[in-house]
Amino acid sequence: MEDHEIIALYEARNTDAIEKTREKYGKLCYRVAYHLLHSREDAEECENDAYLDAWHAIPPQKPDPLSAFMAMLSRRRALDRYRKRTAEKRQYVCLSLAELDECIPDGRAFDETLSEKTLVDILNRFLKELDEEECDIFLRRYWYMDNIKAIALRYGYGLSRVKMILKRTREKLLKTLEREGIFI
Amino acid sequence: MKSDTLQNALGAIDPALVARADQMPKRARKRKLRMASLVAAMLALAIGLGAIFGGGSVVPSRYTLAAAIYPTMAPYPKGEWLPGFESRYDAWRDSIKERRAYFGSGKDLGDFFSQTASAFLADSGDDNLVYSPLNVYMALSMLAEVTDTDTRKEILTLLGCDSIEMLRTKANAIWNANYSNDGAVTSILASSLWLSDSLSYNTDTVKTLAETYYASSFSGKMGSAGYDKAFRNWLNEQTGGLLKEYIDELSFTPETLMAMATTVYFQAKWENEFRKSENQDKIFHAPSGDVTCEFMHETEVYGVYYWGDLFSATRKRLEDSGYMWLILPDEGVTFTELLQSEEALLFLSSNGEWENKKTLKVNLAVPKFEVSSKLDLAKGLKALGITSCFDSRRADFSPLFEEDTEVYLSKIEHGATVAIDEEGVIAAAYVAMMMAGGAEPPEDEIDFVLDRPFLFVITGSDGLPLFIGTVNLP
Repeated sequence: MEDHEIIALYEARNTDAIEKTREKYGKLCYRVAYHLLHSREDAEECENDAYLDAWHAIPPQKPDPLSAFMAMLSRRRALDRYRKRTAEKRQYVCLSLAELDECIPDGRAFDETLSEKTLVDILNRFLKELDEEECDIFLRRYWYMDNIKAIALRYGYGLSRVKMILKRTREKLLKTLEREGIFI
Repeated sequence: MKSDTLQNALGAIDPALVARADQMPKRARKRKLRMASLVAAMLALAIGLGAIFGGGSVVPSRYTLAAAIYPTMAPYPKGEWLPGFESRYDAWRDSIKERRAYFGSGKDLGDFFSQTASAFLADSGDDNLVYSPLNVYMALSMLAEVTDTDTRKEILTLLGCDSIEMLRTKANAIWNANYSNDGAVTSILASSLWLSDSLSYNTDTVKTLAETYYASSFSGKMGSAGYDKAFRNWLNEQTGGLLKEYIDELSFTPETLMAMATTVYFQAKWENEFRKSENQDKIFHAPSGDVTCEFMHETEVYGVYYWGDLFSATRKRLEDSGYMWLILPDEGVTFTELLQSEEALLFLSSNGEWENKKTLKVNLAVPKFEVSSKLDLAKGLKALGITSCFDSRRADFSPLFEEDTEVYLSKIEHGATVAIDEEGVIAAAYVAMMMAGGAEPPEDEIDFVLDRPFLFVITGSDGLPLFIGTVNLP
């Protein structure tokens, strides 16, 4: 079923929308959550929460593409769960997230007076200026939370090359964020 | 974490970027080029009718009737920076798609694989045995092609086909599913037919063998040193010299009328290599007594654990190919018992479609091994109902020879070898997750230690078992 047909089901408040979404994007939602949480049960719960979130969000939203929207909902749920478990000290350390800390200079933090939208705009500009593959690899690591090996296989690179690409991209991001003056 | 704000913002970036990153990149093709060192090398050859054959450059042209013409594949594209790369890449992708269209063609061969595994491997005693179901399937298919009446019917029954036409379609599809010759991955099920120059034969049958089974055919003086040498050279070439010890013992006699040979050579690297630094010497409890072996280890890796009434099993992925399945009979269960168990035989051909399985952390310990064996298949085939081709009064080889020519199968031998070690993957295994202090215990975890006789199965890209073997002594 095409995305616009699934969205039409949501708009008509037809509960088949959820089943159709599950058929088409269930694996994607599960995968995104699993990479972060490394727990089948938790990943399944995040996937189910994502369907519920979609049900509440559409309408008024009309996401395009629906795949990224569903993945985003699942990722958001998984991040919440990850943070909760981290606070309880019963969480695997997700190396992808730990690496992102390198994009924040030592002893500094984000200026909380800035809106998330500002930061999102900066990130969008930054990512679009990157070489396409560099951007994709960055997102595989820090959006989809893939491990290095999986990325190396996906792009046909050695592990060290992937690590190097990621390191350089993090450094570029750090410089961009500093230049935008969003740290205090 | 310091980066919480950044993580949140990343979650709200342009969905088009997120969607693009989830598309399969064209660059994935490059990994094939990195298959450098040999990790698991396996080959087998099956020989029918008392002799062997060839089909390549190592056979003098004076013997060659017809050389097999293999399907052409677009070469694996190299040099992304060169002009025309995209079109070369697209052509290669199309070639790969053509191969994949044949996948699944051998899905209903489970009965053949389990019956023959049971017949050929159950009496392994204290020896290691290796058997290539796919290799024997192709050899028997060719045998069916050159026989008729009851002789053919018995073979068709074992191969699960109602007619020779059905077998041709299936065997051709299986051949194609397992064929690759793009300069990066080479996998060819080579076949050949060796005829005596003193006999006349049906050229149509030779043509069918060439077109359906991609078999080369040769003609020469049986018992002559030159023809023997050509035959051995062909076999050694097709099997990379790995079975030279067995092949050197093969020769035609003046009484040999014809020989057919099929070979399969397969090599693949582990997707996640074993780390040499983690190898340890351990005791392997062989039937002949305890021996010390070098064990390879893989720990904290998520895998699938399978179990049945008499066995437990796990698998390890081969890059750009299938899996190696490692099957450990329960304590006290012999290979004979295991290979007579319907459940275990079903598992061997299940390609993982199994109810009793669980994903968990598998701490695998497997000895490095290199096992070879030479099997006389006649006894096992007779037990499976193939008898008339061995009987000079009943054997019907009329599709190839004139009816008054008395031909029978005097010998059918199968040589195979499998070796595994820790190398062959592009990089060491990488564990993305690690335990934090005070963390919850990991999910289910199991130590899978192959320190007593075990069974293995190697499956190819489309899930067909290429090799099955028993390891009594690594």
